[in-house]
Amino acid sequence: MSITGGGFERKSKASSEVPSSSLADIAFLLLIFFMVTTVFQADRDRPIEWPEAESAQKIDEKQKNIMMVWMERDGSIFINDQQYPMEDVSQVIAPLYAASERALVISIRGDRQVPYRYMDQLQKELVAAGVVRVVFAAQLEQSMQRERR
Amino acid sequence: MAILNKKKSKVSDEVPTASMADIAFLLLIFFLVTTTFPKDKGLAVVLPESGEETQVSQKNILHLLIQPNGIVDVKRGENQQVQQLRPQEIEALWRQAVSDNPNLIAAVKTHPDASYRFMVDVLDALHAAKAERISLQLLEEGN
Repeated sequence: MSITGGGFERKSKASSEVPSSSLADIAFLLLIFFMVTTVFQADRDRPIEWPEAESAQKIDEKQKNIMMVWMERDGSIFINDQQYPMEDVSQVIAPLYAASERALVISIRGDRQVPYRYMDQLQKELVAAGVVRVVFAAQLEQSMQRERR
Repeated sequence: MAILNKKKSKVSDEVPTASMADIAFLLLIFFLVTTTFPKDKGLAVVLPESGEETQVSQKNILHLLIQPNGIVDVKRGENQQVQQLRPQEIEALWRQAVSDNPNLIAAVKTHPDASYRFMVDVLDALHAAKAERISLQLLEEGN
């Protein structure tokens, strides 16, 4: 019996287990690294008061194919954090629309108080850019709220 | 007292940390699974192609004229009679009208000074009534 194993029965001083106590530290380090380096959204939300709609539906399109056009209460237009005059909107959107192979959906995010004349101008600009699919972004309205109004 | 304290306790005095990573990952995965990012919601419309104009017979058009105070004047085709409604009442009106004439088109004409929200209210009502043929226009003087 004493010969079996080639006389290697002596216990090794080194631990035979993989050291796992620092595993959590490594994992959290990676987690925090990715949390810090991830950039989610390029453009920030504009301060608008959302219109409400009861039959608002989720936009059935990939996030990268949705382009937001913000319109503030005074009719000023913001695309990708940058303000554009009304006349330039079609020139800004047309190349982006072509680049997306006509899959782009324009999400119009207008302030509920904006006079409709600006909305109409914006729609005409979008038509000039060849845009077909447009969504009037709105917050979902609960029917309870409506009854109270 | 001193003698009592010297006796070694059999219970380990360390907090067990071996399972901390498991707990943390469990929480992490739980939140990963349960988090939903808010998706954009809105009323989808299809704009006409530029230069595309279709002639529609007047009797197939339901005119919805949105006034600056949010009241909607409803005119049917050639009929000059005006019916004044609130946006919430459009849904029932459309359901009734489209059952009479399935080819009906809603022409939503909004006054330039009317708030965008009144147009959204009317569009909402039309969407709720499953209207598909909607035309959005600006209300011009003389209409």
